[in-house]
Amino acid sequence: MVKLTINGIELEAPQGELIVETVKRLGLEIPVFCYHPRMKAVGMCRMCLVETGFKQPDGSVRMMPKPQAGCTLPASEGLVVVTDSEAIHRDRKGVLEFLLINHPLDCPICDRGGECPLQNNTMAYGPSTTRFIEMKRHLPKAFPLSQYVTLDLERCIQCGRCVRFTEEISGDSDLAFRFRGAEMQPSTFQLTDFESRFSGNVIEICPVGALTSAKYRFRARPWDLETSPGVCTECSNGCNVWFDHRAGKQVRINGRANDGVNEEWTCDKGKFGHDWYNSTSRLTKPLVRRGDQFVPASWSEAYEEILAAFADKGGKVAGLTGPRVSNEGLFLFKRLFSEAFGSDNVDHRWRSGPVPTGPVPRPLPIASLESKRHILVFGTHLAEDLPIVHLRVRKAWSQSGATVDVAYSAANEVERFAKASLRCRPGAEAALAKCLLGEAVWSGKATVSDAVRAELAGFNADSAEEKSGVSGATVRAAAARLGEGAVVLTSDRLLDAPEPPSAWKSLKALAEATGSEFVCYPTGTNAAGAELLGLVPDHGLSTWQILEGCKDGKIEALWLVEADPSSTHDAALETVPFLVYQGTLENEAMAYASVVLPMAAPAEQDGTWTNCEGRVQRFRQAIAPPGEAKPAWRVFAECLLRARPSTPFFNPGEVMEEIARVHPVFAPAQYSLLPEEGALVARESLVGEPAGGGG
Amino acid sequence: MSELLQIGAQRPKAPEPDSLELRFSPTAVEELEALKTHYPDLKSCVLPTLWIAQREYGGHLSPEAIAEVAHRLSRSYAEVEGVATFYSMYNTAHKPGRHLIEVCTCLSCHMCGAYRIVDHLEEKLGIKLGETTPDGVFSIHEVECLDACDRAPVLQVGDQYVGPVTPETVDELLERLRSNPDSTVVQLADAVVKVHLRDGKA
Amino acid sequence: MSFEVFRDVVKPIVAGFGITARRLAEQKVTVQYPDERREQFDRTRWRHVLTRYDSGLERCIGCSLCAGACPARCIYVEAAENTDDERYSPGERYAVRYEINMLRCIFCGYCQEACPTGAIVLRKDFELANYEREDFIYTKEMLLEPIRR
Repeated sequence: MVKLTINGIELEAPQGELIVETVKRLGLEIPVFCYHPRMKAVGMCRMCLVETGFKQPDGSVRMMPKPQAGCTLPASEGLVVVTDSEAIHRDRKGVLEFLLINHPLDCPICDRGGECPLQNNTMAYGPSTTRFIEMKRHLPKAFPLSQYVTLDLERCIQCGRCVRFTEEISGDSDLAFRFRGAEMQPSTFQLTDFESRFSGNVIEICPVGALTSAKYRFRARPWDLETSPGVCTECSNGCNVWFDHRAGKQVRINGRANDGVNEEWTCDKGKFGHDWYNSTSRLTKPLVRRGDQFVPASWSEAYEEILAAFADKGGKVAGLTGPRVSNEGLFLFKRLFSEAFGSDNVDHRWRSGPVPTGPVPRPLPIASLESKRHILVFGTHLAEDLPIVHLRVRKAWSQSGATVDVAYSAANEVERFAKASLRCRPGAEAALAKCLLGEAVWSGKATVSDAVRAELAGFNADSAEEKSGVSGATVRAAAARLGEGAVVLTSDRLLDAPEPPSAWKSLKALAEATGSEFVCYPTGTNAAGAELLGLVPDHGLSTWQILEGCKDGKIEALWLVEADPSSTHDAALETVPFLVYQGTLENEAMAYASVVLPMAAPAEQDGTWTNCEGRVQRFRQAIAPPGEAKPAWRVFAECLLRARPSTPFFNPGEVMEEIARVHPVFAPAQYSLLPEEGALVARESLVGEPAGGGG
Repeated sequence: MSELLQIGAQRPKAPEPDSLELRFSPTAVEELEALKTHYPDLKSCVLPTLWIAQREYGGHLSPEAIAEVAHRLSRSYAEVEGVATFYSMYNTAHKPGRHLIEVCTCLSCHMCGAYRIVDHLEEKLGIKLGETTPDGVFSIHEVECLDACDRAPVLQVGDQYVGPVTPETVDELLERLRSNPDSTVVQLADAVVKVHLRDGKA
Repeated sequence: MSFEVFRDVVKPIVAGFGITARRLAEQKVTVQYPDERREQFDRTRWRHVLTRYDSGLERCIGCSLCAGACPARCIYVEAAENTDDERYSPGERYAVRYEINMLRCIFCGYCQEACPTGAIVLRKDFELANYEREDFIYTKEMLLEPIRR
């Protein structure tokens, strides 16, 4: 800690902390454009100028003759900083006047207008008039850099935030400054498509309207919007987002800071993937089949039909749920089937392979990846399956100096910074895992039981080339890097590969034998929640058995929640005598349904979601569901009540209390206790182990 | 610069690494390997590699040349293009002629009649500054100070300074260059590469 | 008649009618509405109008600044992008929906002040009575000034 003085206030700060951060901690403000707390400071915009000086031994202060950039100035002993003097105000005025020379000031039609740092800083610190009467620089407006990002070069103030984002955070370096001087422009190579998976973030960090969202273009102004804190439900990462809506319609998604999950970034899938909220094919009324067509029905009519087909049918009925159902919904779904229908045939798993069993260590928190020494990404297209985990793995590499190896059958983004890429033949993941384990065992790095040792005969670095298509040297080096402080990271995509239990088992053995940690993140939005809530059959049928059962007539009634197996199992859906489809959107499975129930989307209900690391996060209702759509938990609760009169659940908070009673791991997730950033609830085994409870 | 922006709403894709047509000669690849050893990382190697590319692509850093450099150094295309378009001695905007005559028009040369030379060149070759003769032999550029004020007005042709020049000596120069079948633009690039290689060995 | 009665009753009545009698000769200030209309002041603020340029293009760019400035929150604007085939305003952006809830409007004129293009102006048409509440939602078509020929 060092002692310094800011505007006459003496305080202590860690040595080397940037002055703009220290000043922020003090509650004062230094205006910035190019500085971003999550990226390296470059001092490009000169907006953060401060006067500095040093305390002399005799107690006097010797000021520097010229101001310095606060964003590149580290705190040091005896530093004296003045952020609010006459001269600094003049400097800021000058910088802003300079930045505005070529800025078109088309704020009324700019999507950034109203939430624009340039606007705000000009209002607060800028000159009210300009002395520049010459022609402004004119460049093409609204250039579509990609299907998501629109580039307006006239508005650019060349702060470099976007360029640095692609370089430092997303790692694709798709944007760079081309040309020089007044013509300098941030753009892609030859203005080709900006293909980054994280391109949406540059829109948010742009301090002007140079990079704007093509999807949000002209749809609203900031003061038209209402915003609610939300959780992205497009994948299992559970990014925190701001859910912006206007007149009950979803308008845009912005990143919300949560250092445990997404820091403040979002992926394009999440940022631009919420269009379906406003889709015209949203289901709005319960529909009941009469002959060849659907007739709108009331909820009670629909419930009667469903209960007639399902109640007390035992093993003849089954339920399958998709990934986008809240914890409360999943819990009541399981309870509805076990208590009211007497059936254990419920499942949530859609990966093609059979699911391996056996205890698994609790999933590592995403943020803890940063502190690892080495990460082996195995059998998963990380940026596609778990985009935010990908950013963390990259951050571990770029900021903490971790090494990363990647083993996947196709080109992927991790290869760009990986020490070694073990690109195996598609389908050879199991063999590669065995070779790695074999190499570790034969080299004496790891010890395994004799049974496993026997299975590994013939699998080693030398046979890797022939068995998996990865060169022996690479395998040898990759195996050598595992050990204490290393992580073997995979996702449940591994279960799509042939011989998944084998690949999974070998990989886990590899991690255990070498003393590394093993983590298998699920990819379905709430798959982790479903696992924890025991939404797998204890002794009943699993997903594929249920669908097969539908085909051979063993299953007489099937309830699909937000799932559509019609592309692979349309025969099953066609044969099953009674099909309930409950979902948000019309789809193919609906064509076979006897009853269709409209479901409220995540932002249209109160509920909690469990992300891949086992973090339960609450998403409060932001907008009203369309028409008569109801949240899934309410539908299940109402069905349960009709079949077995009991004390009803009035709100999801009560459901969560019940969940916490049945599954004690969820105790910290009760609404009265749940912190804003969510609570990690994972128990020792997240995948595989048969779950108790469920009523 | 803005012709690149005129592609309108179409969004062409950046070339796939596999589809690149690599044109570095075996010698160039050898030189590149040697250069790589001079620097702590490949990012630092971009500038000399661009000179190699400028030589290999006939004096012109086309998008293809930039893509090849990026590919060979495992950098992103955009990053290398950003570097190439920043420095004015890389010919990124258009392909220059066989001989690029760069006229210094900074203060000393200006006062010694640089613009007279420019006017003379423009009239003689029938082109404007920044253009190339239709036969592809000459290009003329205006450049900032060449650090040869003692020889003002000075021209740079390839790796040679010519000056002080008068309209008459310019005519002689043009005749001499016209009969020179080798490209002085490529010679310049080659000379720079050689300097880089030598520096590494020293 | 005592002095008190004269002072407190007769004198005030005579004085009061005296004023009336004097005013009888002067010009009347009331007008026979609706047969007669009083002339309005130049800066009267009544019904809103969305104006056009001389070329016939709309001035409104759908920037929603009027909605932001409105203290009664009675303006709703939805913007869209002009195309070369379908051009409403000169720039990139125009208002595809523009609605004012006249029941809420307090005629403060802030919208006019906020408008960067001078599109929305409050003019002198004050007869805004209607029978249905819905009819007080003025749409863009109602607000837009007709094209001058």
